[in-house]
Amino acid sequence: MGAPVCMEYRIEGNDFMEAGAASNNIKKTLKMLGIESAICTRAAIVTYEAEINLVIHANGGMLKAVISEDKIEITAEDKGPGIPDIKKAMTEGFTTASNQAREMGFGAGMGLPNIKRNSDAFEIESTLGVGTVMKSTVFFNKK
Amino acid sequence: MEHSIKISKEACQGCVNCIRVCPTEAIRVVKGEISIIDELCVDCGECLRACGRSALGIYEDDWNKIKESSPVNIIADPSFFAQFCHYPKPDNLEEVLLSLGFNTLIDEAEDAFDLAAYAIAQFINRSPKTSLPVISVYCPSVLRLIQTKFPELLPRIVPVLSPLEIAGTLWRMKTNSDVPLTLLAPCPAKITMAREPQSKNLFPLTNGVTVRRVARSIMAEGDIHVESKAVHKKRNNRWIQWARRYGEARHVQAFSDRKLTVLAVSGMNNTLDILQELELGRLRGVDFIECRVCDTGCVGGVGTADSRFLANLRLINMETEWEITPKELSRVEELYAMDIWSITKEYQPRPRLPLSDNVADAMVKLQQMKEIYNGLPHIDCGSCGRPSCQAMAEEIVRGNGSVTDCIFKLRDGISALANQIVKLSESQPHTFKREGKK
Repeated sequence: MGAPVCMEYRIEGNDFMEAGAASNNIKKTLKMLGIESAICTRAAIVTYEAEINLVIHANGGMLKAVISEDKIEITAEDKGPGIPDIKKAMTEGFTTASNQAREMGFGAGMGLPNIKRNSDAFEIESTLGVGTVMKSTVFFNKK
Repeated sequence: MEHSIKISKEACQGCVNCIRVCPTEAIRVVKGEISIIDELCVDCGECLRACGRSALGIYEDDWNKIKESSPVNIIADPSFFAQFCHYPKPDNLEEVLLSLGFNTLIDEAEDAFDLAAYAIAQFINRSPKTSLPVISVYCPSVLRLIQTKFPELLPRIVPVLSPLEIAGTLWRMKTNSDVPLTLLAPCPAKITMAREPQSKNLFPLTNGVTVRRVARSIMAEGDIHVESKAVHKKRNNRWIQWARRYGEARHVQAFSDRKLTVLAVSGMNNTLDILQELELGRLRGVDFIECRVCDTGCVGGVGTADSRFLANLRLINMETEWEITPKELSRVEELYAMDIWSITKEYQPRPRLPLSDNVADAMVKLQQMKEIYNGLPHIDCGSCGRPSCQAMAEEIVRGNGSVTDCIFKLRDGISALANQIVKLSESQPHTFKREGKK
């Protein structure tokens, strides 16, 4: 069994133009490993939404993907303002995004629900004023 | 995968302009000559635009030979009608073509494009909201891009044949003939389509030549005056608008009962962006996506004759009747019932080969690839014949090439060797006298 492949990206806050690069890279890597394309897309969506969240809400942070033989684990970590009410944040359509973000077509309140829908395992922990850690796992041989 | 890009080995100087613009990284320079990885080529023609030495061209059939045969049956891409400043109205051009002895299938084209637009509108209205937006692949390169880079989007493709093919089929049914039919195409992708049709058993199109070749040969005849002015019927010109961005979407709207939300983009970068956004599920609320890999649409194809800006302007100024008459509607419904418009072969993905067919093995190779990549200069200069350092690292682990293909690595190697030589030359046998010592 080979060592897991780690990929790490520093995501800058409010940099809308760069958003998507990490997700694209991760998708490309999974495809090179021969992972089924539907799974690649799910992992790409999780990464992309996590990336967007870091850009819009957290003023940047770290995005980490660890690929092992049977799964990909995606972690987004930030030192942003934290989420006051996680349950509410998980509701489709709920958003606290700035007007700037919404004008650019982001912040429709679909991010976290979308991540959860595309993950096989999902956790999120947030402390006000300290930051948020989100972990999502997608298994390769599970539908 | 078949494609219609032709390489002239004599003209190619082995520069790397083309390999860097290729959106699927399908071109390599091997031993000073370019070669195309056929499975990856999507026929977009970006490499032709980048080549300053005309070393890349379009592989087309011989128009000089075709035009000597009799009768010459042609189906012209809509973009053909926007190429001539002499004949700004399609009616004029129709007469000119007739006077030159060409049988141009305009009646069939009008029917076929109406039928395709109608079938697309029907498909959109029938689709559940969750499977919208659907995407048109009138541009054959878009289909190939989806097959190679975005296979998850295959179910979103509208299963309607290219109207150019449908027009050929309609004509064959009407005339019951199997004489040659030549497509005038604005790009390599549509020429490939003539060779590799999507339709059932018929081979509706026989030859493919570029719009440029034919338009130039007509321009060379000078200003042709045609006597009779009353032979043709009134044309609606809707189908010709497909040559510019939004033309197809506008036509589909004309057949739709509700107001459609459409996105129409052109150009390679825009196309790649919109496909990626669609794959990431960002385009909710959109019904239909029209994309063309060439800027401004088919008038921007690499096989056209005139400026895409002028051609686009002519289309904007062209009188076009968007109102569908009841007679036209019943005609299109009659054709729709004949089922000559739907695809019969399912579109298959054409994914790239993984590093290995076993994930564990592929992961080992991926780590090696990362290490090799880290040692490369990351400036994507192309001197190794590959489009990027990443592509080079990948090829090395796949067993095609060595690190010394990189001129920077090679230079490092030589400099290390040179240092070693200097060091060796400084060490002297003990019996030699040291310099400066008498």
